[in-house]
Amino acid sequence: MRLEEHPVIDFSRKRGKKVTIYFEGKPIEAYEGEPIAEALHAAGIRVLNYTARGRPRGLFCAIGKCSSCLMKVNGIPNVRTCITLVEDGMKVERQHGLEPLPKDYRPPEWKDAERVEADVIVIGGGPAGLMAGIKAAEHGATVALLDENPVLGGQLVKQTHKFFGKREQFAGVRGIKIAEIIAEEAKNRGVDIHLETSAVGIFPEGEGKLVTAVKKNKKLVEFHGKAVIVATGAMEKMIPFENNDLPGVYGAGAIQTLMNTYGIQPGKRVLIVGAGNVGVILAYQLLQAGVKVVAVVEAMPKVGAYFVHAAKIRRLGIPIYTRHTILRAEGKEKVERAVIAQLDDKWKPIPGTEKTYDVDIVALAVGLRPSIELLHQAGAQAIFVRELSGYVVRHDSRMETTIRGIFVAGDSSGIEEATTAMLEGKLAGIAAALFVGKANVKNAMEEMEKVRKDLDEFRSGPFGQRTKIGEEKVMIK
Amino acid sequence: MMKSKVDVAIIGGGIIGLYTAYELAKRGVENIAIYEKKYLGSGSTFRCGTGIRQQFGDEANITMMKHAVEKWSTLGEEIGFPELKMSKTGYLFLLYDEKEVEQYRKNVALQNSHGVPSEIISAEEAREIVPSLDISEVIAAAWNPTDGKADPFVAVHGLATTLKNMGVVINEYTEVKEISVKDGAVEGVKTSKGDVKSDIVLNAANAWAKILNEKLGISIPIEPYKHQGIATEPIKKGEIKPMVVSFKHGGAYLTQESNGGVIGGIALKYGPTWDITPTYEFMREVSRNFSMIIPALKHVAIIRQWGGYYAETPDHNAAIGKIDEIDGYYLAAGFSGHGFMLAPSVAEGMADLIIKGASNLPLSFYDPYRFQRGELREQAIQMG
Repeated sequence: MRLEEHPVIDFSRKRGKKVTIYFEGKPIEAYEGEPIAEALHAAGIRVLNYTARGRPRGLFCAIGKCSSCLMKVNGIPNVRTCITLVEDGMKVERQHGLEPLPKDYRPPEWKDAERVEADVIVIGGGPAGLMAGIKAAEHGATVALLDENPVLGGQLVKQTHKFFGKREQFAGVRGIKIAEIIAEEAKNRGVDIHLETSAVGIFPEGEGKLVTAVKKNKKLVEFHGKAVIVATGAMEKMIPFENNDLPGVYGAGAIQTLMNTYGIQPGKRVLIVGAGNVGVILAYQLLQAGVKVVAVVEAMPKVGAYFVHAAKIRRLGIPIYTRHTILRAEGKEKVERAVIAQLDDKWKPIPGTEKTYDVDIVALAVGLRPSIELLHQAGAQAIFVRELSGYVVRHDSRMETTIRGIFVAGDSSGIEEATTAMLEGKLAGIAAALFVGKANVKNAMEEMEKVRKDLDEFRSGPFGQRTKIGEEKVMIK
Repeated sequence: MMKSKVDVAIIGGGIIGLYTAYELAKRGVENIAIYEKKYLGSGSTFRCGTGIRQQFGDEANITMMKHAVEKWSTLGEEIGFPELKMSKTGYLFLLYDEKEVEQYRKNVALQNSHGVPSEIISAEEAREIVPSLDISEVIAAAWNPTDGKADPFVAVHGLATTLKNMGVVINEYTEVKEISVKDGAVEGVKTSKGDVKSDIVLNAANAWAKILNEKLGISIPIEPYKHQGIATEPIKKGEIKPMVVSFKHGGAYLTQESNGGVIGGIALKYGPTWDITPTYEFMREVSRNFSMIIPALKHVAIIRQWGGYYAETPDHNAAIGKIDEIDGYYLAAGFSGHGFMLAPSVAEGMADLIIKGASNLPLSFYDPYRFQRGELREQAIQMG
């Protein structure tokens, strides 16, 4: 089902031309500009493939980071349908375990790779990457930016709520609007933007760097630069419980993508697992989209979200159960029910406290982990930092990693949120412009100092303490 | 605590060191220790292309490999590790011109005379074995159904487990810094974790073997070259059963692993060098060449790429034997990309050489002193 009315977003204006795709031979209506898995969801299709053992699987991350949405598209298996856009007449089929090679006997006509050159290559077009691109350009560097998603803005494009902080950090502006503003500014500053383009490797090339990428699943692109900024964000964590792979168990971000980016109703009744900011904001966004939230469960004894967010959803009648967790999802081929229970002091479910809810969606908002795969491939030194939610690469106060000329910013340098991602992006962008010899040293140093102060200030509250401890561990001094 | 005195010290925890330790222990040798500077298999074994073939162009390698295949086929059962199993899925060399066919006809005749059932087959027959092949330019193929592959991870794990049960001591993260010699005989090894006395030392350090030799003033040409490999996302099992080889397409070799992923590489090499950083050039050329051989592979994503060493000698044959200048010192290194497949025969030969002073296998072909004498062998077919 599609959302026709929404208090913040006008989807009728956003949707592209109507097209028809074929799911297992059956015509499905879709809109240009939306990915396959999202269009299938709108048509009520939850099962996207079956594992070799016959377990159904559906959407999970909706940003191309997990492998839960792999399908056969026009005969080609293992296509990430959550970030592959629909095309009129496209044939989409479910996969069953490992697929045979497609029947294709024509050797490829080999073309030389598309060649892109810039001083600074930015990987990731979210808040950190966009801001890094803007700042590097502002300080005199030429910039090319690539992102594997079809839209710029990263996770900002799904944030319908207003941000906190200082005015210059977009306080009071909704995330979706911030995404538009900074995407526009990046374009105005001449950042060369490549969407639907997945970076697959970072290689040294003489004194410079080569980022290799694949555009629209088929075309090889070489990005030749002098510095690289990796701002690849994060991916959703999964927790263990019975049937956690049942279609309808979605990452919180996937649900936001469905309803806030593409105007698709994620479901009718939702149980949210995790009462951090993501879980609680999601509850409010679901209400905005006309979806019933039956409860939010949180294993910790306290709600992790900002007080104002939590108070708001409680006022609207959504119960938050602390010291509770999900025991299992139930249903045939898709989520029909979810069972929760209270936890004792040793994190064990207390018998007799089980509650069953009729829901069609279980939303997991149990945290994120940094996406450092490319940095790891490039050989940057990584360490596990609990406070930053996983393995992160070491970096200095200019966001430069242990490899000269490779910088990191945003969630891929440790899980925080969009405001700090933008600040880190600024730092990395200025530092990269300085590294490639384009920035005015004095201006660059001054502005970096100011950004560092802003970061420090933003992290000075109780919520920033954890990050500060983490940053201590990861920082090269 | 590391033992301060052993009977046999083996340098290198790759397939050669492990397998030789096994053959020695099986023959009743006690007090064997292996020294590996990183973790077992980390040198070349875990980076190899997994292929095991008898289709060589010379008598010695064919004999060694025929025996090795027999041993690879029974090792798992012998050590109570049934997961360790050679898959006899064959090797298929695609041939594109008459000259190539002529050469392979000769090789096949030689192989047949040693009991290896290889044959020249038509392009259509090749496509029956691998239905996804593009045979538009293939004119024939050399095929041997008793060649195949084995999983190096399972092999190393199986052997290491067995060795521990047999009382062999495996010292990982223990680097041998030098071999100590006294009065023309081996005295032991100096490691990063202390000195060890031993009357017999086997240098099975492959790419690193030369470093230790040079410290003793022994000059046997073994140089490290960077080769690379890739693995793809899994596809349905059984789609590409044999190792498929095409010299025309970049010297490519590829096959399917037990998990369904395609593994392989091309001949592109760099060196001599100690740098094994993966290169873009390799990734691009693998993509190009693999999809010329099996066009549908253009739709299959590469998920891993890695580098490793071919420890190469001038004729691409290993240097195996006793070192004459130093009593008790043995060498089995410089495998030029064939160490994994040859390991069972090399190990057996080396064990016999150490214990009895001679082996029935044609080890003399790999005589380390042939380079010094200027008696290079015909270059071994260096592929997969």
